[in-house]
Amino acid sequence: MFTCKQISKVLSNEDYQKLSLMSRFLLKLHVKLCLFCGKYNRQVMESHEMCRCYKEHEDNLAPVRSRMDELQKDQLKALLSSHSSKVEESK
Amino acid sequence: MPDAQHPKVEIAAPETWVDRYGDYLYGYAMSRLRNPDLAADCVQDTFMAGIKAFERFDGSRDIKFWLRGIMRNKIVDQIRKSIKEKKVDIDTEDEAILESFWYKYTGIATTNPDPWQFNPRKAYDNTEFWVVFETCIDQVKEPARQAFVLRVLEDQTTEEVCKAMDISANYLWVLLHRARAQLKIALEASWTGKDVK
Repeated sequence: MFTCKQISKVLSNEDYQKLSLMSRFLLKLHVKLCLFCGKYNRQVMESHEMCRCYKEHEDNLAPVRSRMDELQKDQLKALLSSHSSKVEESK
Repeated sequence: MPDAQHPKVEIAAPETWVDRYGDYLYGYAMSRLRNPDLAADCVQDTFMAGIKAFERFDGSRDIKFWLRGIMRNKIVDQIRKSIKEKKVDIDTEDEAILESFWYKYTGIATTNPDPWQFNPRKAYDNTEFWVVFETCIDQVKEPARQAFVLRVLEDQTTEEVCKAMDISANYLWVLLHRARAQLKIALEASWTGKDVK
């Protein structure tokens, strides 16, 4: 992974999160130093990096996310208990 | 101390799932689907599938993540379905973008976007930033948002997303490009200035 074209291809394939640490490092190095593709690819790379971090932090967001309607919850509970008892009976 | 014969973490009975995981799963679904009815449907489908597959649950990880794993598939299905019902239309404006970008993209991308107005990396440890980030994803217009959710957040492969949305790989690239650009604009509008503390 050394040419601008390869770098652009990897970034456009959106496989950034699956890259090994080493290739990610090489990619970052290239994008940081390259005069030709750097300006554009740096932002693409930053965006990938951001999404990766988002997924890491995502679970911390649970308390501030929207909650389920209480009425819906009650309906769901009723549905669940009827279904789980059916499963029990069929055993 | 875990029991040697039953090396299980605590397994919550299905009756208690709604109270324990309902909000968590609903919030997760909402962040992907942006539609309260669809999100509620998704949670219900997940619990139903969970009950059916409950015997196969081995207790090797938290049941919350097991249920979330089921739900991720349901979310992908749901997005696929909503796309089928409301066909993604590729208008002429999109064609133009496609042409021009691919012209530039054949060798080295030469577009020169404006630099970030703030340093995003400084904000990564701040939970508040991710809350803003989430609302900014919501502001990305369909179908770019759907492509972004499927490809980036739900880790579908390019081929899977293209098939689900019935679009070409080139067009998917344009959608993702647009999603990123809109996300950046939205983030700059709502976060610039907030990180200077």
